[in-house]
Amino acid sequence: MSFLLVDEFKYLYGQEDGYGLAAIFTPVAPETDPNRLVAFYRSSNAMHVSNELRSALIYHSGGLSLSKEEASAWVEVFASYWSAIGEILLCEEMIGQGQADFANWNKAYESWRGVTTLLQRYFNRSLFPYWAIPCLYTAGKYLRLLAIKADDASRERSGNVAYSGGFDDEDIVKSVRKMEKLEDAARVMNSVFGSCANDRAPIEQSRKWGIYNMANLCFKIYFQLNSLNLCKSLIRSVSVTELPPLNQYPLSHQVTFNYYSGVMSFIEEDYSKAEEFLKEAFEKCHPQATKNQELILTYLIPCHILTSHQLPTPQLLAPFPQLASLFLPLAAAIKHASLAEFDAALQAGEPYFVKRRIYLTLERARDIALRNLLRKVFVTGGYEPLLEGQTEADRKRRTRIPITEFVAAVRLSSKASNSGETIDRDEVECLLANMMYKDLMKGYIHRERGIVVLSKNQPFPGTKT
Amino acid sequence: MSAADSKTATKNDAPTTDPTDKKALAAKLEEDDEFEDFPAEDWEVENTDLPSGNTHLWEESWDDDDTNDDFSAQLKEELKKVATEGAKKS
Repeated sequence: MSFLLVDEFKYLYGQEDGYGLAAIFTPVAPETDPNRLVAFYRSSNAMHVSNELRSALIYHSGGLSLSKEEASAWVEVFASYWSAIGEILLCEEMIGQGQADFANWNKAYESWRGVTTLLQRYFNRSLFPYWAIPCLYTAGKYLRLLAIKADDASRERSGNVAYSGGFDDEDIVKSVRKMEKLEDAARVMNSVFGSCANDRAPIEQSRKWGIYNMANLCFKIYFQLNSLNLCKSLIRSVSVTELPPLNQYPLSHQVTFNYYSGVMSFIEEDYSKAEEFLKEAFEKCHPQATKNQELILTYLIPCHILTSHQLPTPQLLAPFPQLASLFLPLAAAIKHASLAEFDAALQAGEPYFVKRRIYLTLERARDIALRNLLRKVFVTGGYEPLLEGQTEADRKRRTRIPITEFVAAVRLSSKASNSGETIDRDEVECLLANMMYKDLMKGYIHRERGIVVLSKNQPFPGTKT
Repeated sequence: MSAADSKTATKNDAPTTDPTDKKALAAKLEEDDEFEDFPAEDWEVENTDLPSGNTHLWEESWDDDDTNDDFSAQLKEELKKVATEGAKKS
């Protein structure tokens, strides 16, 4: 019995090729070799697999000199990988036969979990060399994906049961615990993260070089679980661990970590910190990773509007038609001071904005559309008449503006969205007071005379210069 | 055994060797809404610099001083009305 995969393993191990090894332990056959998994699985059987692997890896070592302990550990990993592949192939077979309902993704998940924890155990014992850490990246990546599969499948199943069978305590319990496997994957990956963070080996041989990638895998799971607390404590753990500077890590680790850190700061409403992380991520992002650039921009644009007071240009959004269709109408509405257009654009993008948790942040940008509207009243209002002895250069813009003019402007600007509903004067006064409070407009309201007295010096700050 | 029978038989024997099934599974295991894996582990940052630089990505100012657009014209009309009404009252 021969295992081509084991031969490949021996060769790659000799080369100390960590990513090469990682490519061996994957549940998805490479495109260049679509039958690899089947061939590997069929080359043995449950009864003999361990012995045969042992023979292939130890007795026919092909010049590879592993310690006895390490060699047995790899045999164990290979054997558990072999059974995991068996479960996964079985699921595929069910799908291939049109019996997707009978695919047991729970078992596939559990067996893959076995591969992952085994790898972790031997890395923890420092039996496996640090450069092989990418094996854990792959294991972790597919652990999450298989967990999602398994949870989807049980949700479908329990849904069906509840529909046909009515009430049953067990079903209720099941439907409440919708993400059982993903939660389990979170625990596993958290502990894998820990075993990278706590490695005390000298830094050049440390699993700490894997910490950001593990953190990224955790982030993905935590975001899907919607557990922001777990994200927060993950960020804290990274920040208290003594690590080489982030820019010494591979860019894929850096960019992903900066993206998730940025989104976290965004959710915590620390927009300037979020902007820093996201800007860094955007600038260093892989040029072909359009989907990722799009995700980064989804958060960077609202941040940039709020903190730097700048709108995205069509050029920036040209490669991203979806973002362009969502953000350009908003930007145009802000620029043209049209509240009606702004409301319509926000509503049009609502499903996406809510899904990405940026709706409420974008809503704040309405203030900026309003500020631009009020400024238009100021600009349209013209100049004070010249006094005696003054020249053209002394001409000052009119700074005392009747409230009624602002009322008319707000009514005009929000016409389409509030058809039939008119905004009353009190409401507009309230908006004006708010604008002043937020420093988007400088001046005061003189209620007795019914005017707004604007500051003579930059009455509408807001655009950063 | 008819031709159709043997066809189904082979299909049942080796459904997993059909590469289209594989692709479907691979797609299912990749399809995701989260940040995607990059096509490479590391790359040169220089490559990612946009040729136009950063300057044209953001509008410099949102102060729109163009008072000739439709909306400004409407606003002017509206403000004129308000002004004359105000004058009538006082």
